[in-house]
Amino acid sequence: MNRKCIAMLLAGGQGSRLYALTKDVAKPSVPFGGKYRIIDFPLSNCANSGIDVVGVLTQYKPLQLNSYIGSGQAYDLDSSDGGVFILPPYQSAGEKGSWFSGTANAIYQNIAFIENYDPENVLILSGDHIYKMDYSDMLREHVQHDAACTIAVKQVSMEEATRFGILSCGGDGYINEFEEKPKQPKSDLASMGIYIFNWKKLRAALIADENDPNSSKDFGKNIIPNMLAAGEKLWPYKFDGYWRDVGTIVSLWDANMDMLGNTLMDLFDASWPIRSKSPIRPPHYAGPDSKIQHSIVTEGCEVYGQVSNSVLSSSVTVGNGAQVFYSILMPGASVGDGAVVKYAIIGENTRVQAGARVGSEPDGSEDWNVATCGPNIEIGAGAVVKAGAMIYDSVAAGEGSDAK
Amino acid sequence: MINLHGLILADRSSRNLRELVLVRTSSSLPFAGRYRLIDFALSNLQNAGVRDVGVVMQRNYSSLLDHMGSGKEWDMSRKRGGLKLLPPFTGSGEYEGIIDALENVRGYIEDIKQDYVALMRGSLAASIDLGDVMYQHVRSGADVTAVCCPGAPEGEHHRFIVGEDGYATEIMLRRVGESEGVASLEVYIMSKQTLLGIIDRCDNALNHKFHRDGLGGLLAAGGRIKIYMHNDYVARIESVGGYFAANMDMLDSGKRHQLFPEERPVRTKGRSDVSTYYGDQAVNRNSLVADGCIIEGSVENCVIFRGVRVGAGAVLRNCIIMQDSVIGENARLDYIIADKDVRVSGGVTLSGSPKLQLVLPKGSEV
Repeated sequence: MNRKCIAMLLAGGQGSRLYALTKDVAKPSVPFGGKYRIIDFPLSNCANSGIDVVGVLTQYKPLQLNSYIGSGQAYDLDSSDGGVFILPPYQSAGEKGSWFSGTANAIYQNIAFIENYDPENVLILSGDHIYKMDYSDMLREHVQHDAACTIAVKQVSMEEATRFGILSCGGDGYINEFEEKPKQPKSDLASMGIYIFNWKKLRAALIADENDPNSSKDFGKNIIPNMLAAGEKLWPYKFDGYWRDVGTIVSLWDANMDMLGNTLMDLFDASWPIRSKSPIRPPHYAGPDSKIQHSIVTEGCEVYGQVSNSVLSSSVTVGNGAQVFYSILMPGASVGDGAVVKYAIIGENTRVQAGARVGSEPDGSEDWNVATCGPNIEIGAGAVVKAGAMIYDSVAAGEGSDAK
Repeated sequence: MINLHGLILADRSSRNLRELVLVRTSSSLPFAGRYRLIDFALSNLQNAGVRDVGVVMQRNYSSLLDHMGSGKEWDMSRKRGGLKLLPPFTGSGEYEGIIDALENVRGYIEDIKQDYVALMRGSLAASIDLGDVMYQHVRSGADVTAVCCPGAPEGEHHRFIVGEDGYATEIMLRRVGESEGVASLEVYIMSKQTLLGIIDRCDNALNHKFHRDGLGGLLAAGGRIKIYMHNDYVARIESVGGYFAANMDMLDSGKRHQLFPEERPVRTKGRSDVSTYYGDQAVNRNSLVADGCIIEGSVENCVIFRGVRVGAGAVLRNCIIMQDSVIGENARLDYIIADKDVRVSGGVTLSGSPKLQLVLPKGSEV
């Protein structure tokens, strides 16, 4: 059956800069914003945009992601002739199977999957961005401008521009230059890593690129510059909504803090719901001496201490006299009586025992950073985890840790 | 798969629930911030591995239909069997008692593939390990196993006198308050044949009372009813006061954990709400708050359902605020039960009392 557009979501990244949090899970399944995992954003965007076939390309530690996405029921994507498909690397007859060697190679290895749906266009997404976008609007511009490729772009500051793929446009509005992470950026239009390609043209480009031994098989480094060089029409789709890359501890912490209040991104907006598969737990309970301010709290939580400027995911407990300030507590984390957690990220099911201290306020020093404790560990009673630490092993009671 | 079929009676609502059951049956009463009462029966069955369940309905069941859908939340949306909704389809649709309702679905009961049936009310809030009840039932060889609790639940109920061997010696009908024996939670496991036998016995005698004629008759004929004691928290909700008290019980962590044990999760229809946001001046003391709320004011001893807004400066004490209701700035509410989609304007003061809570019906504006 012919389709106008299907989506391919690149979810294989390891997220090495988040390593304490991604030691055992892929980056797209890192919890975010209380109720969500990062991948909920692109998947909900697909469902809300009417895209009903989504291939999710996995590679690094995919088990949790696979069971989380399941049939796609949480996103209403479990339709009879479409749905969400997990696509791990696989082996073909007579060939040696291989890992995905780059973003373009990952799509190349799944050409057969895409051909099944005979789509006119293919939307390429990545699983590590927090944003709400109507891909159907982007598709409309793509078709309207008869583009081989449409790239979602966002204006960034000139300082930030060196971290992105930067593009420039000609007088007709089409893209005439594309540079990956330029030292001297020529414009402030950054690629958001969201592309819609005409499938026939992409298919040809992928095959040509695969046969080029010097290519690094990457969309930003190879496919797009090659298309531009070949004189194809590339259109920029300008996006001015909220969009954050959450590839580092600081950006992950920042983006979570952005979810407090409704000013930057309205998660309460019923016309564009971000869906998630959440465990069904009773409503959260706050004890008689609790204090919760400027924070978000999720079902299953039990709060007896003080919480401010923080994000509490499902089933978090905060004990009597405990203080949680400017922190992110992932599902099932617990903070014992009298413990203090400041400017920290506490991984799933990690137990901060009574009287322990994790993180501290910014002190203006160079090496200050958010403290991060990985999932499923124990910070013993009275132990100390310093600002900027990034740990994935338990800390014994009473011990200090400044492991980086 | 467990050799047990679920049969939930969602046909009857107590009149003392007043405004709360105008638009629904007691089985679909919202409870504890995000649930409907029938979630407990459905989840108890699901947690025991039961997938084939019939729900007997009588009237006011549209909210129940909407809530249960295909039953997928409880893994009961199956190719064969699964959740079956059984509205009245013969006669007047007026059921005088449980037997009337069962007779009406007699054909359904005859077609049940499993050998055993768990019969229960859809309005009982309790986490019962039905797998264990089933195990004890089959092991005992009793005709019927009745799940009972110590003390006395709210309202009129039936009691069993229990002999030393753990079997019922006598059934006492329609008692109020504590007396001898144990209180029936009206959760029974029996073989399909025993259930059909009880229906026939009542039918032939032109009797209509499940407890008086069915179970009483069974005892008189030498049948054996095993008593299974359920000692954890139970709420049998029969009146507005009882509804209020049971919700307030959920602020007690011991009772809450008995009703929502980790090992037997209670499932309900999902809604994809966001986490609840607390503003800079928010206060939450001893309250239960579901997802999707924006709390800018103060809530104390309250149960707040999904999607509720509490404006800045508003003070809510001892209230139950149901789904998507909006409480304006500086409103003061005490002992109020606000049904779904209620709007209370800014600055309004409303008070019920500990003995008589004020109910704001669904969709009302104050």
